[in-house]
Amino acid sequence: MKKTAMAAALLAGFVSMAAQAADTIKIGLIQPLTGSVAYNGEADVNGSKIAVKERNAKGGVLGKQIELVIEDGECQPAKTVSAAEKLIQKDKVPVLSGAFCSSATIAAMSVAQKYKVPLLSGVSSKSDLTERGNEWFFRSAETDGLLARAFAKILVEQLDLKKIAYIGVNDDWGRGGISEFSSQIEALGGESVQKLYFDHGTTDFYTMLTRVRASKPDGVFVAAETQDGSILVKQMKEIGLQSKIFGVGSWATADFANLAGEAAEGIHAAVPYAHTIDRPENKRFVEEYKKAYGELPGKYSAAGYNALNILMDAIERAGEADPDKIRKALAETDYHGPNGSFKFNAKRQAYGFDAVLVRLTKGQPEIVAKATVTADE
Amino acid sequence: MFDLFLQFVVNGLVNGTFYALSALGLTLIFGLMRLVNFAHGEFYMMGGILGWVATDRLSMDFFTGLVAVVAVMALFGWLLDRYLIVRVRDKGPEPGILLTIGLAIFLTNTALMLVGTAPHKVAAPVSSGPILLGPVIITEVRVFAIAVSVAAIVGARLLIQKTKLGRAMRATFQDPTAASLVGINTASIYASTFALGTALAATSGMLLGSIYVAQASIGGLISLKAFVVVILGGMGNFAGAILGGLILGVAESLWGGYVQTGTVDMVGFALVILILFFRPYGLFSVRAERA
Amino acid sequence: MKFERNFLTGFLLLAALLGVFIQSDYLLHILTLVLIYAILASSLNLIVGYVGEFPLGHVAFFGLGAYTVAILGAPEVGMPITLTIPLAAFVAAAFGWLIGRITLRLNGPFFVIVTLAFAEVLRLLATNWVSLTNGPMGIAGIGHPAVLDMAPWLQGKRGFVAMGIVLAALTFFIAYRLVHSSAGRAAVTLRENNYVAQSVGIDPFRYSMFVFIVAAFLAGLAGAYYATYISFVGPEVFGFPFTATMIIIVLLGGKGTLSGPVVGAIAVTLLEEYLREFKELRLSLFGIIVMAVVLFAPDGVMGYVRHRFQSLFRRTSHA
Repeated sequence: MKKTAMAAALLAGFVSMAAQAADTIKIGLIQPLTGSVAYNGEADVNGSKIAVKERNAKGGVLGKQIELVIEDGECQPAKTVSAAEKLIQKDKVPVLSGAFCSSATIAAMSVAQKYKVPLLSGVSSKSDLTERGNEWFFRSAETDGLLARAFAKILVEQLDLKKIAYIGVNDDWGRGGISEFSSQIEALGGESVQKLYFDHGTTDFYTMLTRVRASKPDGVFVAAETQDGSILVKQMKEIGLQSKIFGVGSWATADFANLAGEAAEGIHAAVPYAHTIDRPENKRFVEEYKKAYGELPGKYSAAGYNALNILMDAIERAGEADPDKIRKALAETDYHGPNGSFKFNAKRQAYGFDAVLVRLTKGQPEIVAKATVTADE
Repeated sequence: MFDLFLQFVVNGLVNGTFYALSALGLTLIFGLMRLVNFAHGEFYMMGGILGWVATDRLSMDFFTGLVAVVAVMALFGWLLDRYLIVRVRDKGPEPGILLTIGLAIFLTNTALMLVGTAPHKVAAPVSSGPILLGPVIITEVRVFAIAVSVAAIVGARLLIQKTKLGRAMRATFQDPTAASLVGINTASIYASTFALGTALAATSGMLLGSIYVAQASIGGLISLKAFVVVILGGMGNFAGAILGGLILGVAESLWGGYVQTGTVDMVGFALVILILFFRPYGLFSVRAERA
Repeated sequence: MKFERNFLTGFLLLAALLGVFIQSDYLLHILTLVLIYAILASSLNLIVGYVGEFPLGHVAFFGLGAYTVAILGAPEVGMPITLTIPLAAFVAAAFGWLIGRITLRLNGPFFVIVTLAFAEVLRLLATNWVSLTNGPMGIAGIGHPAVLDMAPWLQGKRGFVAMGIVLAALTFFIAYRLVHSSAGRAAVTLRENNYVAQSVGIDPFRYSMFVFIVAAFLAGLAGAYYATYISFVGPEVFGFPFTATMIIIVLLGGKGTLSGPVVGAIAVTLLEEYLREFKELRLSLFGIIVMAVVLFAPDGVMGYVRHRFQSLFRRTSHA
């Protein structure tokens, strides 16, 4: 019984591989499809798929259709390395996009460097990724440091923040976010009264919020994704927390507003993308995304979309699907996406695109401030 | 200061009640069937997801939905026992553990395939408006959940103590051979017990899904916490499970409140290790290990 | 006895041949994974097969080995692997002694859950003790073993395969000697009938502890190898995915045999890679496989082989 199942699986695998032997250019995509951030990884994949679909409908790149080969990195370094090895060695992709979590991306970076295949990350926000001197790694995302620098002043002024409590999910992204924002806000005179962390999957925040409430902060900074963030924000309201809430994470999404309900009202979020950004590229993107998936895109969907477009543009410019030529072509990127224009600086960090501060009003992200991500760190 | 302490204690008692309800099914299954059900958390998860389907997709109101979910899950539990668990029943503790681990992995990932990774909400019949009990804040929906939990616990207790089925369960628990000799259909009893345990887990899943969210991937954590509660209270000990749940809830709350929020989950495990060190059968276990 | 010894030696030779002749880095990577899992599963198998208990928290020792190498081998400290790997194994063994003292007095589900509790505590410590373990960010850049730079043919993955073969050989040797020693036979007697064993003077606790510590040592070895190869260690080394894989390997391969873990490691690693095509189904299928094995083939592949080919396994003591 087991043997037949395995044989069937292998057969199906071979058949699918044979079917894909048609003339295509492959792009490898590594995202977490399982695990605690699978929800966000999927959004990235969806955005990537839209970009590929759009481009293929226009005739593809260099006359060939683009084929997206997707692997599950589970946001874990070991699995990501496996995925990268497989994509490079077995599928022979000339370029990679991934791997979502900064720690997984770091692992993928060393694989990319070893095999000399360019890797583009549209999500990983840990500031030092582009400081490691890896010539094959490009980042089209904002860093925690950048967001903090861009918006700390506005937040402190607009929200009149004197005492701030920080809450974050206990992983490298949450800790990084809190560390960057707190140092910026402290430099502007804000006092950090609490820094508390919670694990992925926590459902009850009452104890943590009781502590926060007791320290009477003017503002509460939150680094959490939709899943945890929506419950957190709801409970903040339940427990009677009066402070102003602001944070980073995929908050400008319909899902978040839906889950959090009225508790989402008035929250400020610093995000590199909101579906209300007023650009023609964005309007088109939002419409297509909505048609394909029945919901509005959030920052991860946009990240995937942008990353794939940047890669496809580079392949076009390179003239062939050769990793080294694509790498050189990437350095010349001048891409206009839903949230601004993207160019890479000498350290292969993207700049020139928008970062927006939104306030959730009646479930919609209303843009209250805009900053452009600058070229130097 | 005292207000803060009181708030922590109340938070802990609220969580504790939920822990108790969710662990009740596990302790019953262990007490009667000597089976450590590692898929317990997944039953909880299914309760939550089915609750979402019922209230959100099928637009049932909460109570109708709850009845439907309980019925479906009880049937599911019954079938699982009759066709799956029965095969490993007399083979010692290990096959049961491994079987339920495999079941847990299967259920979690099938659920992920079917409903996706997004969190879902179960519509509660009351709002989450705050209620003030002196200096302590609690919400309407939590009070509601506690009421339902208490009702479920009391209901389960009455079922076991006062009904014919319950008596048959307790007889089988004491001595399966003697029970079958007096005409009790032990196979049926085992299936009913498993069904009851499953239904209780699903109830707490749906209930808590209305306060927090229902997500396909939380099974593992729930199982772990339930195990902690059951060990604290003694496997098979009904009252112990309740007490264990409350103790865990308050302990976690006080640790998180006064020490560190990030390590709260460690409290339960540390307690388990300490208790098993001094009392190898759990805090309140009344059952001696038979040879 | 002979069959198992030949099987294991044959496996090591095959691995060495593959290591020499395979060109694809991806396949060498798979081979390395097989070796890591073979060592880890062998260690779990010692406890499952020869103590008769199921330590769901066995991954704790794997993680301890990995973190020891990570903390001592990271750029700041920079100890060479000739030191860190043995140290890691000893640290794991020390914890094996500590955890064994507490848990081996318990049986059945209590043992299962309390070992799990230990693994979870370690995971939470790894996540929160940021100054020691860098928390969720993990420790990166674990030094490449200097010994692998000595010869040109040891470059890259081949070197790691060679290292793995050495460590696996060590593991099989230790396991083999343990099982066929009087300590091993005592443990089997205990597993088969606890009370009779005690009546002839075998102290269950002492023998269980011995096997437990050796198993912890070997698991630590696997963790150290893993850390050196991946060069990145995070709290996920204490996580459930490794536990689940270990369980499947031991079950599928056949518990209580020495060749079972190897067969299982090969099968499961290959399955994991091939099931990549069915990403969403992959884990569901794993769950079904576990259940199927438990229900229909509780002794796994090697158990079936032993059943069918009795003559190969005839020996004085049966384990």
